[in-house]
Amino acid sequence: MPLKHAKWITGIITLLLVFPIVIGLVGTLLPAFQYFPPLGEYNISLIPWRNLFAQGEFYASLKLTLITGIVAPVLALWFSLSLLAWGYQRPFFHKIEALLSPILAIPHAAIAIGLLFLLSPSGWLVRLFSPWLTGFDRPPNWITVQDPYGISLIIALVIKEMPYLLFVMLATMKSIKARESLQVGQALGYCRFTLWRKVLIPQLYPIIRLPIFIVIAFSLTVVDLALVIGPNTPSTLAVTLLRWFNDPDLSMRLMASAGAISLMLVIVFVLVGWEISHLLLSKLTRAERSNGKRCGLTDSMLRMGVLLGLLTLLNAFIALALLPIWSLARRWRFPDALPTQWTWDNLDRATPLLIELTLNTLTIAFITTLLAGVISVVMLETKRHDIARSSQTDKTHVFDWLIYIPILLPQIGFLFGLHVLLIYLDLNGDLCAIVALHLMYVLPYVYLTLKGPYLAYEEEYLRQANRLNHRPWQNYIRVKIAMLKPALFTAFAIGFSVSIAQYLPTLIAGEGRYSTLTTEAVAQAASGNRKQVGSMAMLQALFPILVFWLAQFIPPRWTKWRFALGNLLSKISRRS
Amino acid sequence: MLSVNAFTLSSKNKILIKDLSFKIDNGQVLSIMGPSGIGKSSLLHFLSGSLSPNLLTSGEAFLNNETLHTKSIQERKVGLLQQMPLLFPHMSIIENLLFAIPTDINKLERIAMAESALKKLDIPDKASALPKELSGGQQARVALLRTLLARPDYLLLDEPFSKLDPALRRDVRAFVLNEIRQANIPALLVTHDSEDAKAMEGKCLELGIVK
Repeated sequence: MPLKHAKWITGIITLLLVFPIVIGLVGTLLPAFQYFPPLGEYNISLIPWRNLFAQGEFYASLKLTLITGIVAPVLALWFSLSLLAWGYQRPFFHKIEALLSPILAIPHAAIAIGLLFLLSPSGWLVRLFSPWLTGFDRPPNWITVQDPYGISLIIALVIKEMPYLLFVMLATMKSIKARESLQVGQALGYCRFTLWRKVLIPQLYPIIRLPIFIVIAFSLTVVDLALVIGPNTPSTLAVTLLRWFNDPDLSMRLMASAGAISLMLVIVFVLVGWEISHLLLSKLTRAERSNGKRCGLTDSMLRMGVLLGLLTLLNAFIALALLPIWSLARRWRFPDALPTQWTWDNLDRATPLLIELTLNTLTIAFITTLLAGVISVVMLETKRHDIARSSQTDKTHVFDWLIYIPILLPQIGFLFGLHVLLIYLDLNGDLCAIVALHLMYVLPYVYLTLKGPYLAYEEEYLRQANRLNHRPWQNYIRVKIAMLKPALFTAFAIGFSVSIAQYLPTLIAGEGRYSTLTTEAVAQAASGNRKQVGSMAMLQALFPILVFWLAQFIPPRWTKWRFALGNLLSKISRRS
Repeated sequence: MLSVNAFTLSSKNKILIKDLSFKIDNGQVLSIMGPSGIGKSSLLHFLSGSLSPNLLTSGEAFLNNETLHTKSIQERKVGLLQQMPLLFPHMSIIENLLFAIPTDINKLERIAMAESALKKLDIPDKASALPKELSGGQQARVALLRTLLARPDYLLLDEPFSKLDPALRRDVRAFVLNEIRQANIPALLVTHDSEDAKAMEGKCLELGIVK
């Protein structure tokens, strides 16, 4: 891009990224200390904290958050490492790899709703074994989902996080020379799993540390998943805070802000604890790595992880398959494994609502992702300028860490802090506000997806183009952007699916004036109207899959289509 | 005529090329040989105006007695041919050629020029093929014609034959020399291969290590 003043652009974008983060943080921090001008509170005090610590619910919620937020990432990491060690380089594993991106693309609320349909006492799992095995004629009185220990929430989190970690790990395989190491190790007579445990996983960990941190922060702070499938009374801390923030008694906001600050501290403590445990674990296993044993007992841990990981994947697919079944079911009484009568009526009846929700969802996703794409390209171009100019190539650019902050901060609290700003700007409930908040979460993913291919682009093509004809802007679009099409399409698909999945940003910025498939599906998940909820969740899952598929399908055919269109047009013009 | 006077190139801690001067007449090819890392490519970058800021140069370059080294890249009208043909993979062969033809020529004539270039290459049927459907030798020839269609004032060749099969090289070299003579512009060839230099039927300078 023939950019001038790259330094200024870097500075302005940095400011634009920092500004909402600072406002969100300040907007949480001040109310936590009783300073909240909208309510006429101008005196700093510790009352919100005293109120918070006097709440029994706070401790119960905190305990649940810690359990789900630590167990889920541990399981997700264990399963994904096991699956990778087991399947890497095996032919059938490519098929599993191909399935990863659709699962990644599907909004977590849709998966949670599918799990609800699968695991609840009247869900498909119990139906499958009833009445012939269990003898149940009606749903049992068990608590299988939304259980008080958060087990169903943990399952949902693992389903969401395991594919993500696997995806990230697969991308790093080349850089740690996995293939070569495995060849050398196997020639020395090592078992496959032992080799992974002793050689590859220790190399892998530092590269995927940040994605793991993202997963941990997500598990500790997730709201929509926890609303659908998490425990209630007490619920996890994030959900409890959401209820306090939304309490008609506005002074609850102060205590909720203190709670949001403590949730941020919880993230920091858990991350620090995680790193210390990792340090201890690697110290303890260091000697064992070089003891020369070719196979070990711990291999069975990985073997078990494979089994559980596959089971988790299967779970995810059945859960997703249940969404369209429910939306097309007319009669589906309890012990039947499938509906006895099918119908389009559910969809027909819900059509006006679904169309409105779909339009809202797609409009927001489209505008946000387009903006995120343009901003990412400008950011990467200024970064490229910087790299080209400086002699150190491995310098970390300010964008590279700044971009992670919105993903690592808990949405709850932070977004309510921003909401106050939106009210001041008179933007609350506006489509622009929704897009702006979505952008904070879409931009990081688009930027990170685009970063590798964009910076790896062979700049000589563009230079040659500019030597052949000097039209820098036109050449930038016609040569560089056109050649980066596959990466741009993939980044768009990822941004699009991230936007569709957003729950809290839509809810808070839209103030209920704009409902999307996600907000409505989450709101109605508990309603028991499975047919309608199933339809919404199905659409919610459908669009990301569709966009992902298009992103794979269009780029390789683009040029062929362009030629065909050119031929057609010239034929028409010749005829007329 | 392209001439270079007292060209000196140095990196941070050592001098790579010292006081190099030469002249190239129109339609002639001057070959420059030398081991890798000696600064041959940097000389080309100096002449094309895309030198990396980490390198220091002094000296002057003139094209037909006009100073060249003070001009910006876009004012230079330079043609550069490298190891990679750098044909745009998402454009057909004829689109690649049309890309280079100046826009002040009218549309029909531009198409006629591109088509006559294809005829010269003996691949008139490949007009709407993609670059990857052509052989390496054909790609190299298309790349040369594309560069010349932009009507450069001088041509720089950075080991354009090194990626080709030995059997193909002879044909491509002859083709390149013939085209340069027809275009009647000065050309500078940088190479490892003394066969390249011989085939260009011009003078040859050998660069050595500066002590």
